[in-house]
Amino acid sequence: MKGFLDYVPGNSFLHKLNPLTKLVLSLMICVACFISENHLLLVAIILLNLAIAKAAGILPRGLMLLKGLTKISLVIFLLQLLFIRGGDILITLPLNLLITERGVAMAFVIVFRLIGATMPLALMLSITQMNDLSNVLVTKLKIPYKYAFTLTTAMRFIPIFANEMSGIIEAQASRGVELDTRNIFKKIKFVLPLCVPLLITSVKKIEGSAISAEIRGFHLRTRESCYKGYPIKKSDVGVMFFSAFLVFSAIIVSGA
Amino acid sequence: MVNLQDVFFDYGEGETLKNISCRIDKGEFVAIIGANGAGKTTLCKLLNGLLKPSSGSVVINGMDTGTTKTSTLAKSIGFLFQNPDRQICKNTVREEILFGLELAFNDKVLIAERLENTLSTFGFQGDSNPFNLSRGERQRLALASLIAVEPEILILDEPTTGFDYMESMKTMGMIKELNGKGATVIMICHDMEVVLDFAERVLVLAEGTIIADGQTREIFRKEEALEQASVLPPQLAQLALRLGEGFEDVFSVDEMTDAIMKRMNKERTFEHERFSGLCTG
Repeated sequence: MKGFLDYVPGNSFLHKLNPLTKLVLSLMICVACFISENHLLLVAIILLNLAIAKAAGILPRGLMLLKGLTKISLVIFLLQLLFIRGGDILITLPLNLLITERGVAMAFVIVFRLIGATMPLALMLSITQMNDLSNVLVTKLKIPYKYAFTLTTAMRFIPIFANEMSGIIEAQASRGVELDTRNIFKKIKFVLPLCVPLLITSVKKIEGSAISAEIRGFHLRTRESCYKGYPIKKSDVGVMFFSAFLVFSAIIVSGA
Repeated sequence: MVNLQDVFFDYGEGETLKNISCRIDKGEFVAIIGANGAGKTTLCKLLNGLLKPSSGSVVINGMDTGTTKTSTLAKSIGFLFQNPDRQICKNTVREEILFGLELAFNDKVLIAERLENTLSTFGFQGDSNPFNLSRGERQRLALASLIAVEPEILILDEPTTGFDYMESMKTMGMIKELNGKGATVIMICHDMEVVLDFAERVLVLAEGTIIADGQTREIFRKEEALEQASVLPPQLAQLALRLGEGFEDVFSVDEMTDAIMKRMNKERTFEHERFSGLCTG
């Protein structure tokens, strides 16, 4: 069973790209999402994300992400719909709540942005090994190893903590805590105290990782310690141009 | 009491459990043994409803786990996980034991009585912080909060992990005591000495199927099944197997001593008779 950020091995064109290129592509997709307010462009970016997932052989994960983000988006959509006002009033609701033309348009923009900007980073992490990512941050972007390691370790810990939390929930449900209730408020009431064991386990795990890193000579590691090369190939240049084109298109469309 | 009928289960990566059928009656002490990844924990999670079978049925006390919530099943099933830190969620040992009791009972007098009994039986300081205890003590605390409730069925996933010999025997003694009161115990265990000393029945799991099911001593004689499950019987049982005739029922030091004495006496008698025969001849 793999978590949503775990590396999925593969031999696709995207897998073979330089980790820096993948990072740039995903960041540029995010930037394009935030520049543009055009619905069509935002939908096209979401479709592009799915196409990336398909090309990398991780379409099921891409669809799973889309499904999860859509669920979260529903709540955000509803809030934006009720609280953004402008343009013609479409529906008047009790408690002086109004659904306006601008409210509908902006709710869609925010939801599409959230989906479009979150997916590329998660997809990029699914097709990039953490070691490669930290190595490229150190060798190409000249970030001190300590910080690159911190960043990649933080990302590596997300699925571990998610797994730990589901283990804690299982253990508490087995004791008779009604965590399997359908009542969301009851569920929140029961889940909140479980943050204590999660926090304690997390601190223990982090401390353990820090000790093992020290034992293995973490402080001796320098930029030169990286034995793997990460050359920028023609395909990387092509993808970077495509990333720039994407941002440029977003600027043009939003200016139009 | 526990009835599994043609149970299949998969996590989406191939079948983890295949065609499991067995029945466990009230008051039995059953050990589940097998190599890592054989499906032991999955099988136990199916018993308390944490996992639902892909096909087949798991019925506990008349309740189908496929349709009953885990929190409902928890009223009659206690489950000890491999990692006690997932179970402990309170700031003091007293609160931790109390939490389990309050989930199970409403009677305040009964709760107070059970709490004090558990604290004294396990020798815990009520006000100590559970997260400052050693790994073995945390495991004992998790077990104590389960035993305090006295569930009808107790499922233990490697209960003696992190224990020294004395702690192990003491804790297993308490579990046996609960079993003596009528509770059904289902235990996953990698320590074959513990299995031999406490379990009455053993299920051997290999690659998701039950390959042997029988009385503990009978199972430890099935070399082929144990080998298939990558399990070695206790050393004394292995020695008895190699010694062969006259050592078939040897599983403890006392039994080994008796068997050796018997063999020596037999040989002495044989030598004596041979010597007498030579003299008279």
